[in-house]
Amino acid sequence: MKARLLLIPLSPLALVAPAYAVTYLTVEQAQTLMFEGSVLTRDFRVLTPEQIQAIESDSGVKVANPQLNAWRDGAGGWFVLDQVIGKHEFINYAVALDANGAVRQLEILDYHESYGGEVHLPAWRRQFVGKHHGSQLQLNGDIKNISGATLSCGHVTDGVRRLLSTYALVLAAAEH
Amino acid sequence: MLSCSPLPSIERARPLLGTVVAVRVRGAAPRAAHCAIERAFAAISEIHQLMSFQENTSDVSRMNREAAHAPVTVHPHTFRVLAWAARLAQLSEGLFDASIGSKLVEWGVLAAPHADALPDPSVSFRDIELGSARQVFFKRPLWVDLGGIAKGYAVDRAVAALHACGIRSACVNAGGDLRTIGAEAERIALRAAEAPRDVLPTLEIQGRALATSCGASASRFHAGNRVGCHVSGRTRQALDTHTTVSVLAARCVIADALTKVVLADEAAALPLLHRFHAVAHVHHPDRPGHGWRELGARQ
Repeated sequence: MKARLLLIPLSPLALVAPAYAVTYLTVEQAQTLMFEGSVLTRDFRVLTPEQIQAIESDSGVKVANPQLNAWRDGAGGWFVLDQVIGKHEFINYAVALDANGAVRQLEILDYHESYGGEVHLPAWRRQFVGKHHGSQLQLNGDIKNISGATLSCGHVTDGVRRLLSTYALVLAAAEH
Repeated sequence: MLSCSPLPSIERARPLLGTVVAVRVRGAAPRAAHCAIERAFAAISEIHQLMSFQENTSDVSRMNREAAHAPVTVHPHTFRVLAWAARLAQLSEGLFDASIGSKLVEWGVLAAPHADALPDPSVSFRDIELGSARQVFFKRPLWVDLGGIAKGYAVDRAVAALHACGIRSACVNAGGDLRTIGAEAERIALRAAEAPRDVLPTLEIQGRALATSCGASASRFHAGNRVGCHVSGRTRQALDTHTTVSVLAARCVIADALTKVVLADEAAALPLLHRFHAVAHVHHPDRPGHGWRELGARQ
């Protein structure tokens, strides 16, 4: 059985790279997957301070970014892009809401994790903006998996709660 | 050294089991791959719903509320995981023990499942009775937590779902507990809590499972001591927060549970590693060299 541990020396460059970064889907791939056959219309908004306050009070989750990146489909559903920042992780994800505002599907688009505090630095996060499938940073070429202390996803749960409040207070409210 | 996969691969990830679960399928047409990935996520989601400590409607919550009063009938999956937990508890003489829920509540790692007082600290796996017709009975009030084994079982179920869809090459990774299928080897990076950053430890696995546990996971201070989310079933003490254990085994349910046994007692874990043809890689920062030690490989 091949079970020998191989210790690969890391270059000094790798030491400053994120510990773990992986892209699963592009925005376009997620839209096709979640709304196959539908035409999505871009409907981006900037949340007002009053809306932000209402969302925070309703969901109990802080709104870090006033930009709401949403697309609507012809049947009343929504595709919403969002990102969450945890202690060590930075996650972009997409949610498909049905016409009643219920979560129909959730897909993580990409996941970036660092050992240190870089995750909270705008410059660190900026390097992942606009990354496309196949161009993601990797640990080392063909190593696509990591086994270690459990990756965190608690902030995604909070993010979804915030988005459901955003739907109720902003997206759905605008239609009535 | 193995080369990259020549087959197209599709990978998706969702937040499940309190972590990020990724499923990668290789060499299948996109529609078939996405359909199989959906089934794999559904399989994991089912285990999450059955075995969550926190969700009121889970089998685990029902048992913790009712099984000390009357037998509780559970889902076949829950019963199978309880049976694995019982077997591992017996073989490890209690180093692995699913009755540690109350300890994790005491430490603040888990929220109390209901308002009753904390169960008697002397309870153990011996107080859990598995009867016929998937009935579970607790001889004394206790709180079962399947967090040390259910994630591995969920990975095995996802792999079974992929097999059932005709997928021949894939990897399911539930936040570091993973299993691969197919002829292709996967290179996996191991991450230890306090490992030096100048080398990247990697393993090649093919058609096997790998799970990693670290004593420092979710660590906090309780009564002046640093405690993590792992408890020795035997001593009810926190496991060493400096040590990280990765176990390779045929099934992920075994790999997942054995990481806790090795964390608790390396010497006592050795016969179990041999029994399940498993290998452990243990990292401790005080060990010479890069701190890694291999356990359980047959000569």
